[in-house]
Amino acid sequence: MTTMIQVENVAKEFTLHNQGGVRLPVFDNVNFSVAAGEALVLAGASGAGKSSLLRILYGNYRPTSGRIAVTHAGRPIDIVTAVPRTVLDIRRRTLGFVSQFLRVIPRVSALDIVRDPLLARGASAEEASERAKAMLARLNLPPRLWDLAPATFSGGEQQRVNIARSFVDPSPIMLIDEPTASLDAGNRNVVVELIAEARAQGSAIVGIFHDEAVREAVATRYLDITDFRKAA
Amino acid sequence: MNIQVNPQQLALDPASLLSVAGVSRFYGERIGCADVSFDLWPGEVLGIVGESGSGKSTLLRCLAGIDKPDAGEVLFRGGTEPLDIYSVAEQERRRLMRTAWGIVHQNPRDGLRMDVSAGGNVGERLMDNGARHYGKIRETALDWLQRVEIAAGRIDDRPRQFSGGMQQRLQIARVLVSEPRLVFMDEPTGGLDVSVQARLLDLLRVLVRDLGLAAIIVTHDLAVARLLTDRLMVMKDGRVVEQGLTDQVLDDPHHAYTQLLTSAVLTV
Amino acid sequence: MNAHQSVGENNKPAYNYAYLDEQTKRMIRRALLKAVAIPGYQVPFGSREMPLARGWGTGGIQVTAAIIGPDDRLKVIDQGADDTTNAVSIRRFFERTADARTTEATDEATIIQTRHRIPEAPLKSGQIMVYQVPQPEPLRKLEPHEAETRKMHAWAEYGLMQVKLYENIARFGEVTTTYDYPVMVNGRYVMAPSPIPKFDNPKMQRSPALQLFGAGREKRIYAVPPHTSVRSLDFEDHPFRIQSWEQPCGLCGAADSYLDEVVIDDQGGRMFVCSDSHHCETRRAEGHRGAMLADASALHLVEDEAKS
Repeated sequence: MTTMIQVENVAKEFTLHNQGGVRLPVFDNVNFSVAAGEALVLAGASGAGKSSLLRILYGNYRPTSGRIAVTHAGRPIDIVTAVPRTVLDIRRRTLGFVSQFLRVIPRVSALDIVRDPLLARGASAEEASERAKAMLARLNLPPRLWDLAPATFSGGEQQRVNIARSFVDPSPIMLIDEPTASLDAGNRNVVVELIAEARAQGSAIVGIFHDEAVREAVATRYLDITDFRKAA
Repeated sequence: MNIQVNPQQLALDPASLLSVAGVSRFYGERIGCADVSFDLWPGEVLGIVGESGSGKSTLLRCLAGIDKPDAGEVLFRGGTEPLDIYSVAEQERRRLMRTAWGIVHQNPRDGLRMDVSAGGNVGERLMDNGARHYGKIRETALDWLQRVEIAAGRIDDRPRQFSGGMQQRLQIARVLVSEPRLVFMDEPTGGLDVSVQARLLDLLRVLVRDLGLAAIIVTHDLAVARLLTDRLMVMKDGRVVEQGLTDQVLDDPHHAYTQLLTSAVLTV
Repeated sequence: MNAHQSVGENNKPAYNYAYLDEQTKRMIRRALLKAVAIPGYQVPFGSREMPLARGWGTGGIQVTAAIIGPDDRLKVIDQGADDTTNAVSIRRFFERTADARTTEATDEATIIQTRHRIPEAPLKSGQIMVYQVPQPEPLRKLEPHEAETRKMHAWAEYGLMQVKLYENIARFGEVTTTYDYPVMVNGRYVMAPSPIPKFDNPKMQRSPALQLFGAGREKRIYAVPPHTSVRSLDFEDHPFRIQSWEQPCGLCGAADSYLDEVVIDDQGGRMFVCSDSHHCETRRAEGHRGAMLADASALHLVEDEAKS
C-alpha cells in the first residue's frame, strides 16, 4: 500500500512571548506513517495534543522540529519546509481538513460552499451542482436552506454543510477533527459511511473522534499521543 | 523511507510575477521599510499586516511604483521580459500602471475622478489604451458595473452621488477593467461599515479567484487578511518580522509581535 | 508723425517699432520657430506687460508685434467682426506703433489676428493667422497640475481627453463642446484651437496659411505650420460634426457660413447673420440678398448696398 503520510521525529512546543516567554511542550519525537485506505485514529486525553498534531499534518501549525512527507501527485513532499504556494497546492489537491466548525463566508450559499472544491478541481458547474445537492440531501440538510448563507444556520446544520464540503470529493488524505460533535445519531451514521466510502476509494484518514461508537466504527488503527508526551 | 523533498522545484515553476529584493526606504534617519524581499506568483494574494506606522503603506508605495525605494529591486515579469520597475523609463512605468497593474486606494477619492460619471471612470483605462469606439467602451463599462454590483442605471451618475461602499466597488471596476495581472490594495475596506465591508470582501474574493489575479493587500484587519490572502507578511518598525501561509501565521504565530497582534483580535 | 517715432524728452523715440523692444521680439521669434518645428507643442515664452490687461489679447498682440513689418497688411477680427471694440483697438494700436497698413478684406491681409473665428474666405499661402488664446492647455480642466499635463503631452497619454468627450456623449447624446474643440495636430499633440467655434476646426486642416497661437497670461506660444494635419478628436461611432443652421444668413443668404443670432427688436424678433462681417458685406456687394435684408436696412441695422 502507498504511504501517504510519513511523520519523522516531529516535536512541538509553544512559546508564549507575551506571557514571559513561557514554553509549553506538547509532544516530542513523534514517528508514524499512514497508508492509503487506512484510518488512523488519534487517541489520548484531552489536551494531549491530538488537535495540534492534526494541524501540523495540515501545515497549519509549524512543528518545532521534524519532517512530514506528504505524498502529493505521486511524490513525497515535506510539508514543513514547503513554500506557501506548494502547501496551498497540496491542500487543494491532496490534503483535506474537516473541522468541527464551518468558517462562514459572508453571502456565500450552502450550495456554493459545497460546490467550491469540485469547481476548484475542474468539474463543470453542472456536475458540481448535482453532486453537491446529492451530498447535502444525504446529510439531511433541508433543500430550503441550500441557497442561503449558513451564517444563520444552527451549529449542527453548519457542521453538516462543512462535512458535505469535505466529502463531496474526498481528498487522497483526509484529516478529521471531531466531525460528529453536535450531530444526531442518524447523521453520525452518515458520516461514518462517508468515511468508510472515502477509505474504500483509497483515501488515507487521520482523525480525532470523541464519540466512542464512531471511533470504533471508523478506526483501522490507533495512535496514542500520550506516548509522545515530552518528559517534563 | 527516504524522503525526496524538493519544494523549491515546485515553487519556482513557473516564474514568479513579482520579485522583490532588499527594498528599503528611509525618511532621513527614520526607517520607512527595510530590506524587504519576497516573490509573488500569478494568482497569489499576499497580505501585509501590521499596526499603523509599521511601514506597510510605505512598502506598498515602493512596490507599486509610486515612491522610489532607497535600495533594492522590484522585478515584474508581466510582459515578455522581466522589468526592473525603477530602472525603466517613467513612460514605461506609467504604461505598466495603466495596463498590467492596478492600485485600489483606501480612499476612493484618491482612485476615482469624482466629477466624471461612473461609466467614464471605468472607461478611462480603455481609452488610455486606445479604445475609440463609444458604444463598445460603454458596453464594457456596463458589464463591469454589473460585476461589481452597481445597477446599470447608475452608469451616468457621478461618484459623489454614490455611497462609500459603491465608490469603493466602482474604484475596483475602474482598475480591473484593463485586466491587470497584479493589483495593489491599500486597506480596501477601511472606513466602511461592517456590513458593507462584508459585501466588498466577498466581491474581491470572487474577482480575485475568477480572474486569477495576483494581489498585494495592505490591511490592519486580520479578518480581512484571513479571508482574502494566501500568504501573510507581518511588519513591525519597517521590517518583516514573520511571514508564511496566512493560516499558519495567524493560528500558530511565532514572533512576539504577531502573537500580540493575533491575541488582540476580538472574536465575535 | 508716427507714434513710435514720437520724441521723448531726451530726443529718443518713446518706444520701439511695434511697441516691443528688439530683444523681446527675438525671444518671441525663437519661441515661434520652435513652435513651428514642433506643431502643436506649447512653447513657454516670457510674456511681457502690454498696455492693456491680460485676457484682452496680449498673447496675440505680442506674436503680431514680433512678426509684423512695414510691408504687412493687418486684419483684426473679434467674434468674426472687424468693427468690434477689441478689434478696433488692436488695429489702432498697430497703426500707431507699427505704421501698420490695415484692411478688413481677408484676401488682402498678410497677418490676420483673431479672437474666436477663422474667416470664411479660404486662407492663402503666405498668410499668417494669429490667434488670441486664453487657455492654451487643452487638458487643464481635466488635470490641474502642469507637471502632469506636460508628461501627458510628452508621452501622448490622451485617454483623459477622450474621457471628456465620452462624458459629453453619455450626458447629452453628442459631443456638446462647441468651441475650443480639441484637435490632434500632425498626429502627435493634442492642441486647444483657441475658442473658435468647432465650425472653424476643419478650416485648420492642411491650411496653406501659417497659424500662430499666443497666450499672454499663460505665457505659451504654439503653432500649426502650413499644410499640417489638424484632426478634431472624436469616436469611431460618434464622428466629429460641425454646427449647421436651418436657415441661411438673413442678410446675404449664405448657407455655408457661421451664423450669429441677433435680436432685432424688443418684440422677440431675431435673425441669423454671418458672424464674419467682411464675408457678409462682400457677398451683399456681389448682389446676394438674404430674406431679411430689406427689414434690417429699414431699421438702419445695415446699409443695403443694392439700394444706396
